[in-house]
Amino acid sequence: MTNILRRFDFWTVVTGVILAVLALLLLFPIVRVLMLSFVDADTLEWTLGNYVEVFTRNYYLKGLKNTLFVGVLGTLGACLLGIPLAFFTARCHLWGRAWISTLAILVLVAPPFIGAYAWIMMLGSNGFITNFFEAIGIETPTIYGAHGIILVFTLKFFPFVFLMTQTALMAVNKSFEDAAGNLGCTPWQCFTKITLPLVFPAISTGAIICFVLSIADFGTPAILGRGFRTLSTIAFAAYRSELGGLPTMAVTVSMIMIVISMLALLAQRRILAKRRYASSLTNLPVKVRLTGWRNIAVHSFCHGVVLIAMLPTLVVVYTSFLKTNGPVFVGGYGLESYGRILRTAPEAITNSFVFAIAAVILITMFSALISYVIVRRETAAAGTIDFLMMVPYLIPGVVMAIGFVATFRTGFMSGMSAAWLLILLYFIRRLPYGVRSTTSSLRQIKPSMEEAAINLGAPPLNAFLKITIPLILPGLIVGSLMGFITAINELSGTLILYDSGTITMPVSIYLAVLDGEFGLAAALSTVLLLCTGVCVYLVFRFTENRDSAFI
Amino acid sequence: MASVEITGLRKLYGDVVALSDINISIPSGSFFTLLGPSGCGKTTLLRTIAGFHDQNAGRIAVDGQSIEGLPAHRRDVGMVFQDYAIFPHISVRENVAFGLKQRKVPASEITKRVKDVLDVVQLGAFAERMPHELSGGQQQRVGLARAIVIRPKVLLMDEPLSNLDARLRVDLRAELRRIQRDLGITTVYVTHDQEEALAMSDTVCVMYQGVIQQAASPLDIYLHPTNKFVATFVGANNFLSLDRSGGQFALRSGGATVLDADGATQDLVCGVRPECVSVKAGEVAPTADEIAIPARLSDVSFVGREMEVVAVTDHGETVKSLARPDPAIITLAPGSAVTLVVKRSDLAFFDDGDAGGRFA
Repeated sequence: MTNILRRFDFWTVVTGVILAVLALLLLFPIVRVLMLSFVDADTLEWTLGNYVEVFTRNYYLKGLKNTLFVGVLGTLGACLLGIPLAFFTARCHLWGRAWISTLAILVLVAPPFIGAYAWIMMLGSNGFITNFFEAIGIETPTIYGAHGIILVFTLKFFPFVFLMTQTALMAVNKSFEDAAGNLGCTPWQCFTKITLPLVFPAISTGAIICFVLSIADFGTPAILGRGFRTLSTIAFAAYRSELGGLPTMAVTVSMIMIVISMLALLAQRRILAKRRYASSLTNLPVKVRLTGWRNIAVHSFCHGVVLIAMLPTLVVVYTSFLKTNGPVFVGGYGLESYGRILRTAPEAITNSFVFAIAAVILITMFSALISYVIVRRETAAAGTIDFLMMVPYLIPGVVMAIGFVATFRTGFMSGMSAAWLLILLYFIRRLPYGVRSTTSSLRQIKPSMEEAAINLGAPPLNAFLKITIPLILPGLIVGSLMGFITAINELSGTLILYDSGTITMPVSIYLAVLDGEFGLAAALSTVLLLCTGVCVYLVFRFTENRDSAFI
Repeated sequence: MASVEITGLRKLYGDVVALSDINISIPSGSFFTLLGPSGCGKTTLLRTIAGFHDQNAGRIAVDGQSIEGLPAHRRDVGMVFQDYAIFPHISVRENVAFGLKQRKVPASEITKRVKDVLDVVQLGAFAERMPHELSGGQQQRVGLARAIVIRPKVLLMDEPLSNLDARLRVDLRAELRRIQRDLGITTVYVTHDQEEALAMSDTVCVMYQGVIQQAASPLDIYLHPTNKFVATFVGANNFLSLDRSGGQFALRSGGATVLDADGATQDLVCGVRPECVSVKAGEVAPTADEIAIPARLSDVSFVGREMEVVAVTDHGETVKSLARPDPAIITLAPGSAVTLVVKRSDLAFFDDGDAGGRFA
């Protein structure tokens, strides 16, 4: 009896609350999506018809094919840029290494849809590069369609492969390569037979993140697609056309997206299961000093890649300071675009901040509690929570938002306002960022710290607040900042949930781009970039290993 | 100050028995040491007393009051941790005051008690320092001060000296014991270092595989180990095979009859401490109360204060000796004939097997 009572302590209650919240905000919407995909929209009866339609109608099959096509090629492109970049920065003396990884991180955290529309301003039908070449009589390929999307994915997602591979390369014990060389391998054989296989787990993790994000990306195909549809734009369009009825086709397409992401993750886990390399860091790799044309080529490649990837951001900031008259650029510089956002969309800015900050407050609180449960409690419930923290990575924003609509806009829970739905959506989708960072912070803290506090008479909650929280504060701050960056830049889920009073900056930018209001879009994007940049700077201040804080 | 009674304590990890039917009685004010190899359950027992583990069965009483059902923060037992567990984000003073604040002691009294306890552990000048500015030994003193300032009924120490270097360990050992005696606080101390256990304790409790092997005074543990495990783990020991004919037991090496025991039901071995074995060059005849074992010198190491001799008997049994340095032996070539001489009263007999009991 006493034992049962003792087990029912503070952390048991916390574990229960966490599980309840995750069940309500994460599992329930996903299950609703799953169930709705088996319902006939007209007769409300169980059916496999939705899936039959998706797998037989050309419209959907084409979308599936397109999604896989740009996903695979975008990931491949990201690897082709990211792996050499990682190798050069980890193994060669490179001028401006910190600069390169800082730019890569900025690319990583910049709002995802900015890339797409900045490339339109450069290479679109009226883009300045297009116009420049047209003036000298050269026809440039259009940016619209599959190759444009692949280009944007490549330049947007390569930092994942780069940063993960770089971290792994710097941790490979040099003795392995020395041993291979001693056994007669040429440097190239050492690289392909020893080093590359050793960092393969990191490369594949980076690649899988690229793939999952490519599948889920809505903004890029929506802006650049022009008739080239992917599953996320199809799901969004289906949701729009089914408004008022049951969004059965939207959720069926959503299910396909979830399954693709899950299959990709499972395949990677399976491949990695046999490859676990423990490495002791006794013999750190040395960097080689390149000379002559090799040196110039490597420097050009590394700086070239990050500069081209940064180009959209620079173009956006530059455009925001161009003089405009309505949607038209009239030549010269001016602050009219900023004046216009203050006149036409001030609520988008306040909404974005209010929603993101509210979500981050929730993320911070739950991250601290969840990471404690995951790290310190070896119960089945703790394992379940740890596993559930992976799920939001796999669920595209469009899908999660449709799940929210299906769950919270019907039946007994239909009273919630759009603002609350958005806050809860940001919270549940970005919670893993906070938990990840806080968990790794807490793993560095010995459990004896809390035990000492409890032994001295502090009840569990007191020990947590007075000892654990101060000790994991850096990780908690970094996690919250990452949550903030990703929450304030959220587009796809917001597009489904927002109403006239809850428009956000990313939605305003998206709508402005669709209307051809590039000046307005640029000014809003610059505001977004600015607060993202401030957060990145703060993350740098609070973290020792700046590169790995972002992946 | 309080006595501790543990009765019928059991702790399982799945199917693995971590603690099996532990019964301990610790008188008020005494220094009680749990000694054993790693994995023997000593730390599990200490942490169960502190309330960090739930026991499967059994009772823990402090001063007659059951505490096994209380959550850890209400048990009022102080604990000193192996890794110090000094809170790194607050000063020495605040570390020591932490437990008093939890107990809502008035501020003026906290100030006084913190000052007094820091003087006791000789850290009065370090109150405002941050933990990272202290050495390992100083951090452990903070850990001790923090645990005793709350005047706990029982003080628990989990290998508090094992992370310190050898010299400091010996100094701090004496200081811990002095403070413990001055305060008269009942103390349960965990260590795997037998020398530490013998030097500090009123009672040494040897544990192995979750079972208490023997709990007795250091002298008794050393001189009268109850079984072969204790005889091996505390101090070194040589075990020599015995041949039985009827009720008579004779050493296989040397052939001397050493025991007349009709009642013995199983095979026995003979234990003798290295310091009880003297090594003589050549052949030596024993006196009536001695036995002699012919052997060949295998290895001599002279370590200053004493010499360690390893000899191999004619039956291939290895015997170690620890004795005052003897130039006649140290200069002998390996392989030389020697005689090992042992007093009959220094022999002890045990049932054969890993933890065979002592044959009385």
